[in-house]
Amino acid sequence: MPGRLLVHGIECCYGSKIILEKVELNAEPGEMVGILGPNGAGKTTLLRTISKALKPSMGTVLLDDRDIYSMSQIEIAREMAVVPQASTSTPNFAALEIVLMGRNPFLKRLEHEGDSDLAIAKESMELTGTWHLADRLVSELSGGERQKVTIARALTQQPKVLLLDEPTLHLDIASQIEIMELVKRLCADKKLTVLSVFHDFNLAARYCDKIILIAKRKILAAGRPQDVLTTNNISSVYGVEVSIKRHPVTGSIYTMPIPSSARPGKRQSKGEVHVICGGGTGAEIMRRLVESGWAVSAGVLNLLDSDCESAEALKVSIISEAPFSTISEDASKRNLRRIGKVSAVVVTDFPVGYGNLRNLETAVTAVEKKVPTIVIRGSSIQERDFTSGEAGKYYKQLLEKGAIVAESVDQALNLVDKYARQPEHN
Amino acid sequence: MTAQQNQVIRGRLRSRSALLTLLVASVAVFIISLSIGPTKISPDEVLRLLVGRLFGSYPASESTELIIFQIRLPRVIAGAAVGASLSVAGVAFQGVFRNSMADPYVLGVSSGAAIGAALSIVIGARIGVPLLGDIPLLAFIGALLTILTVYNVARVGSRVPVTNLLLSGIAFSIFLSAVVALLEVFAGSELHALVFWMIGGFSYVELRDLLIIMPFAALGIGIIYLYSRDLNILQLGEEEARHLGVETEKTKKILIVVGSLATASAVSISGIIGFVGLVIPHITRLIVGPDHRTLTPASMLFGAIFIMLCDSFGRTVLAPIDLPVGIVTALSGGPFFIYLLRKKKGSYET
Repeated sequence: MPGRLLVHGIECCYGSKIILEKVELNAEPGEMVGILGPNGAGKTTLLRTISKALKPSMGTVLLDDRDIYSMSQIEIAREMAVVPQASTSTPNFAALEIVLMGRNPFLKRLEHEGDSDLAIAKESMELTGTWHLADRLVSELSGGERQKVTIARALTQQPKVLLLDEPTLHLDIASQIEIMELVKRLCADKKLTVLSVFHDFNLAARYCDKIILIAKRKILAAGRPQDVLTTNNISSVYGVEVSIKRHPVTGSIYTMPIPSSARPGKRQSKGEVHVICGGGTGAEIMRRLVESGWAVSAGVLNLLDSDCESAEALKVSIISEAPFSTISEDASKRNLRRIGKVSAVVVTDFPVGYGNLRNLETAVTAVEKKVPTIVIRGSSIQERDFTSGEAGKYYKQLLEKGAIVAESVDQALNLVDKYARQPEHN
Repeated sequence: MTAQQNQVIRGRLRSRSALLTLLVASVAVFIISLSIGPTKISPDEVLRLLVGRLFGSYPASESTELIIFQIRLPRVIAGAAVGASLSVAGVAFQGVFRNSMADPYVLGVSSGAAIGAALSIVIGARIGVPLLGDIPLLAFIGALLTILTVYNVARVGSRVPVTNLLLSGIAFSIFLSAVVALLEVFAGSELHALVFWMIGGFSYVELRDLLIIMPFAALGIGIIYLYSRDLNILQLGEEEARHLGVETEKTKKILIVVGSLATASAVSISGIIGFVGLVIPHITRLIVGPDHRTLTPASMLFGAIFIMLCDSFGRTVLAPIDLPVGIVTALSGGPFFIYLLRKKKGSYET
């Protein structure tokens, strides 16, 4: 198979300092492999080793079963092209002249680029959408344009293997997507073996078939993005909590860091607040409660409800019901039992239908049982009553029986602090 | 074919016509330089004389033959060769160092040659050992020894980092200049000759020296031209150049060695002529663009033209005083360079 890359037992040192050890990696034609890892983990070192810019102290890099350290620079350049991080040098060459430099490995010493070389350069520039820039000086191009010209130059080498070192660094979001889409398309169409260093998990997850996670000089995990980019792996490598979701449109996974302030507090002294919410009305109050040190529970929430997902991300304990189902008596009872143990209950302005009417009933019971209950008055109950008035009745009862009204989330937080009772331990 | 492809072809034709123009100009300047002097000899007579020498005989007075072939020809050829060598070496050094402020003397070649010349002038002439009295030979040896030392001091294993080379070159230049100054103190009656040598000029050029030195200059220029495309790619940075198939360490070594060789041969003939190796590549780049495949030959021709003109000017303007060419190049090159610097302010950062 042409363009098969096999990295075996690589060990790299700068002086006596070991940068990488025992790195194994393989990449097949048509496969896009992402290298991820924190700063200083050795990502770029690995890429430079594979491109023969660095010689490892141990190990081999095989390109179609040939050891690249026994190949000349020209032989390698005919098989493998490298797109470096945004180029620092800006010589006064026109874009086309830069792209034509990709033909260097195929030209004899005094040979000029011929028509066929020009045709290849043109094709590469058309593929990368840079042909209209051919006569412009690269020093006058924007970062994104310049990077695309560099990719065109790499393609002009007609390589089997394409190495990229954070190709989208310093580029705006539109250029990032454009360049990654381009690389992905080339990888598939030309059966290129692509190996790229990334900084951005989501970009890597979106475009790579395989991800290699490097940490502390070693490969920590390798495989499909969803198998490598787990909350455990990421928190152990970066020390950052993340939530991982599958994107509804692209289908690839994406990660979102959760700042430490939004993580469930370790101190439980403030007691627990139960939030009755749904349809996205509870996300803010849950987060704010967590941030101010409350233990939070929520329920009853239908699985797949956006509040349910927010609650999961905040590690809030949830009393849940199957998706889109009417809340069962059983779930409602569990909810009530939970409420019996908390310091306060917050009821948000969630839309009420027959399916979650039991939640309002539960709230009324909570007030009856003298649990401090704060009702956030957002949109009026008439607007969100989808039960022909039944919800309105419960709401009226709620207020009559002594629920405390908050006009905003801020006020609700203050009221929780003010009225919260000592939690019962029974 | 599309407009853009035409543009590339047009660009190449343009550079080809620029080269042709420079070639014609250099031949013209060569002949004019031969005709200028205290004895007026018209350019067409010079031409007839030269053609006559090449293809049979042309009847001319003995004195005219003597003036052209014995006095003026060595001097004009030396000027052309030195101008060409220094300019092409300048192209190579600026290319390798990726810095348009680099010049052929940046690695201490000039100081090394000066030591050789100073030793020859101050000591060699006194003790009368024949070989030691040969200024060009000693200057050449001094230059080569200096490069060798600078290069080995800068070397880290098999690599030669550019910054190391520059620093090593600067350090040796300063040190060797001090040694030359020391020799000047003891020069006594030879001081005048030494100072004149350091300014650079062609007053004492002999055909014999030219024949020894020219092959080295030609070799240097030729090899630098062979590496034109590599020099282009080196402008992207060494690592990117490697990925495009350039063996950067080898290329750098070869270019530095042959560039120094060309410089050493030029300096040993003419002394230290300033500014040519810095300014000529620069102006040529402004005219023909950054592609070394054109830049190298164009600089060679332009450098030859420039020195021939400067020397013709120098030996006629204040005649019978023979103004050393180094003064003329520095007097004209210096202000022009300052003008360029002001005009392109801010774009000289590396």
